[in-house]
Amino acid sequence: MTASTTARTRRRRGAGIAIAVLVAAFAWMVFGGLDKNVVFFLTPAELAAKGNDGYEVPVRLGGQVKPGTIKWDDRTRDLRFAVTDGSGEILVHSTGAPPQMFRDGMGVVVEGKYGRDGVFRSSSLMVKHSNEYRAPKAGERPQDMYKTLMQGGKT
Amino acid sequence: MNWRRALIAGAVAIPVLFFFAWGLTRDPGEIPSPLPGRAAPDFALEVFAPGEPPLARAVGDTVRASALKGRIVVLNFWASWCLACRDEHTILSQGARAYADQPVTFLGVLYNDEPRKGNAWIAEMGGQSYPSVNDPGARTAIEYGLYGVPETFFVNAEGRVVRKHTGPIPAAVLKGILDSLLAAPRAATTP
Amino acid sequence: MTRLIGLDALWLSLAVSLFGVLLVPAAIIRRRPEWLAWTRSAVYTNFALLTLAAGAMVYGLVAHDFSISYVAQVGSRATPLLFTVISLWGALEGSILFWAWVLAFYAAAVLWVNRDREGTLVPYASAVILAVAVFFGILLVGPANPFHLVSPVPPDGPGPNPLLQNHILMAVHPPLLYLGYVGLTVPFAFAVAAMLNGEVLQDHWVVLARRWTLVAWALLSAAIIAGMWWSYEVLGWGGYWAWDPVENASFMPWLTATAYLHSVMVQERRGLLRLWTLNLVVATFVLTILGTFLTRSGIVSSVHAFTQGTIGWYFLAFIGVVLVAALVLVAGNSDRLKSEGQLGGVISRDTVFLLNNLLLTAFTFTVLVGTLFPLVAEAARGVKVSVGEPFFNRMTLPICVALLFLMGVGPALPWRGVSNDEARSRLLPPAVGAALALVIALMSGVRMPYALLAWVSAGYAIAAVLREYQRGVGGRMRARGERWLVALVRLVRGNRRRYGGFLSHIGVFVVALAIATSSALRREHEQTLRPGESMSLAGFEIRLDKVSGREEPQRAVIGAAVTILRGGAVLRRMEPRMNFYPTQQSPVPTPDVRSTPAGDLYLTLMAFRPDGTTATIKAIHEPLVPWIWIGGMIVILGALVALWPTPARATEAAA
Repeated sequence: MTASTTARTRRRRGAGIAIAVLVAAFAWMVFGGLDKNVVFFLTPAELAAKGNDGYEVPVRLGGQVKPGTIKWDDRTRDLRFAVTDGSGEILVHSTGAPPQMFRDGMGVVVEGKYGRDGVFRSSSLMVKHSNEYRAPKAGERPQDMYKTLMQGGKT
Repeated sequence: MNWRRALIAGAVAIPVLFFFAWGLTRDPGEIPSPLPGRAAPDFALEVFAPGEPPLARAVGDTVRASALKGRIVVLNFWASWCLACRDEHTILSQGARAYADQPVTFLGVLYNDEPRKGNAWIAEMGGQSYPSVNDPGARTAIEYGLYGVPETFFVNAEGRVVRKHTGPIPAAVLKGILDSLLAAPRAATTP
Repeated sequence: MTRLIGLDALWLSLAVSLFGVLLVPAAIIRRRPEWLAWTRSAVYTNFALLTLAAGAMVYGLVAHDFSISYVAQVGSRATPLLFTVISLWGALEGSILFWAWVLAFYAAAVLWVNRDREGTLVPYASAVILAVAVFFGILLVGPANPFHLVSPVPPDGPGPNPLLQNHILMAVHPPLLYLGYVGLTVPFAFAVAAMLNGEVLQDHWVVLARRWTLVAWALLSAAIIAGMWWSYEVLGWGGYWAWDPVENASFMPWLTATAYLHSVMVQERRGLLRLWTLNLVVATFVLTILGTFLTRSGIVSSVHAFTQGTIGWYFLAFIGVVLVAALVLVAGNSDRLKSEGQLGGVISRDTVFLLNNLLLTAFTFTVLVGTLFPLVAEAARGVKVSVGEPFFNRMTLPICVALLFLMGVGPALPWRGVSNDEARSRLLPPAVGAALALVIALMSGVRMPYALLAWVSAGYAIAAVLREYQRGVGGRMRARGERWLVALVRLVRGNRRRYGGFLSHIGVFVVALAIATSSALRREHEQTLRPGESMSLAGFEIRLDKVSGREEPQRAVIGAAVTILRGGAVLRRMEPRMNFYPTQQSPVPTPDVRSTPAGDLYLTLMAFRPDGTTATIKAIHEPLVPWIWIGGMIVILGALVALWPTPARATEAAA
């Protein structure tokens, strides 16, 4: 009776240790995976301040589009602009069309890598709207902006 | 019931809850702004909404940041098309009145909007106790690193941006920040 | 008037549900079980009142009664009727109202379905649901009150979020999601009721909880698939899953509910894993509330998250109550929940189910860690980070492949275990399916290692499951001389749970293969075209004809007319668009998708010159995507087969 009980506790203890090891290994894997796969969220000034550590690692860069810096060539789909946070600024280059209403002073988050040549190569570009509702200004209504495209006025 | 085990299990929940409580005090949408702690960018903007006495300024007056040195400035960026601005309107308007006898200046800055619509909005909301200035071309907004409206900046008596609040500001937060700012300079200037 | 009816109904519903809940401890302390009849009435009354409140809101929306704050927030005279009605769940307050209504519906349904059952289990369970309803009632009269008075009454409103009025699936996905999500409260309620009345060791609460979980699980599965479909059709990036916190929030309870549906079989068949199963029921419910907290409080950033406010603190308090109460109850009852037997041999269905549960739990844990990590990193190191797809894909793909493989092994093995020879004869034949799948995948050009592994595992599992059907049908045909179709129908009818489950598995294989293949073979190309110019992708010639605009009542539309040709022959005309809503800063891109069983051609209008001389178009070719939706429907069909009511006599015998 006692012998079987101790054998049982021993087996239970063995199972407990095995489970603990499994859980620990799994947790180590998960957190290890996290360390390699998280993307830091930085402003231009913070990215610049990182120096060497800031190059060629995935980063999300947040800030405003610096007025007057947007250059978009729709044939080559080459988009360049500067992101600023008021104190630092970083040149961004991406391939692909910008959002239709991309414009100066807009809040953006670009994801990509900062190259040693001082240009941030972006793989995705998100426009940040902290508010969703906004009345269009005069001349900003699509009906006015794209007048030539509209067919036969109101339908 | 095994009460000992039950209590231990219940206690496990406490740190988790504290962690979430801490998380609630954060704003995940906020981009860390390097501005707080730095000198507030200067501006010279024209008043379009006068506010109400005793806080009123004449329409057409130019408000300069440099002229407000020595006072705590609450700079609130808003727009008539912004729904969340409606939520904080009363809080700010009443807050400005409550601190009228203190060295605090409330200033609204109209962002990406027209003064005419801004005035209509103020009228619709039943008035605003403090004046608002227009920011043509959103130049000032960009210099302050505005992310979206509403957003409120707090500038201390030395002209440094000390706090920034994104989204409608709760009354308790407004009061907390202002009271701590009002307490701080006295401690600093009377050593 | 409408506003006051709604508001009064909400207050009354809160009072009634509070009354119904408090009666339970009163009835226990005073030893007056007949008081529980009042709890029943409270459940039905609460449902009637919330139906009234929700009805008042729908009426207010349809009648454009802008004196109601919620209507002023999401309504607009220009919005089409359908989208006006479904904006009931388009923003925070309305979604909480809808949630409360669904919860009240479940409480009433649980009582109604089990109205002939004696004992305290069902009244207790409905009181637990009612207690959850009290929380939502507090939200509805407090921070999420949709019936505030707006004065002066605005003439018109901004209309619902454009993304929510851009596609018809928005009428389907949220209700399914709420029905599934909220439905998971029911098994939790049964578990708590059983722990409270000391019946936790008996089986009837398990049977009830299992059936209701299956209902909620089927609805949640449908909701997740509909959500993927919606984001695919609307968001314009050609993907269907992004590991966004909101998606994760719906996925985590699905994972634990799936684990529960399997572990409960081990419990019912073998008397094992009782404590584990109970934990899964509780964890599933806690994860639904946690998920709602994460997405409604603004604690993590997400594309879909509702705006933040004080509501987070209410949710936190509620999670605190639920978590502490659940942990205390489960731990306090843990002594009673000793397993009755021993796990079977290494090669047995027992082991496979155990592994499946470990993997699903690990899966849930990974998703939870990935979702919460940005918050942890900020707390621990003060840095802002985001955890993207690479992490989730890397961590979860091996788990998915292993699960697929187990889905083939499990059905082939009997409970308790078999001899090695027997195991070999059962496990080896399906390898033919694996080999076949590998050949098919390689021939179609799949080279991604995980996609190949998914094909191999799914091929193996499909073969194993089909073999189970074949053995059953063949057995019947031999023993009773039935034709195969008759034999199949009678086989399924004889054991709905087993064969319905297998059908769901087949659906999962279809989904898995479609996802693996579509992501492995996805091709995309983006180019700026002048009218008349074309680009090519995957054998299609995509020709831009014209960029033009038109005005619709609630929006302006700019569309690019595109002709798709193959080998010079016109296949179809498509029109990717941009919809401009007056209340939105930037336009909402509206992709156009051409679906065939072989795959989709997906076009998005990325940009255009204001004068219409060029348009930038992104074209994506994704094979097998429609099979994700078809597979999802098979999963749900399987659940329906398992749920279909069997004649009462048979149920009693099974229970």
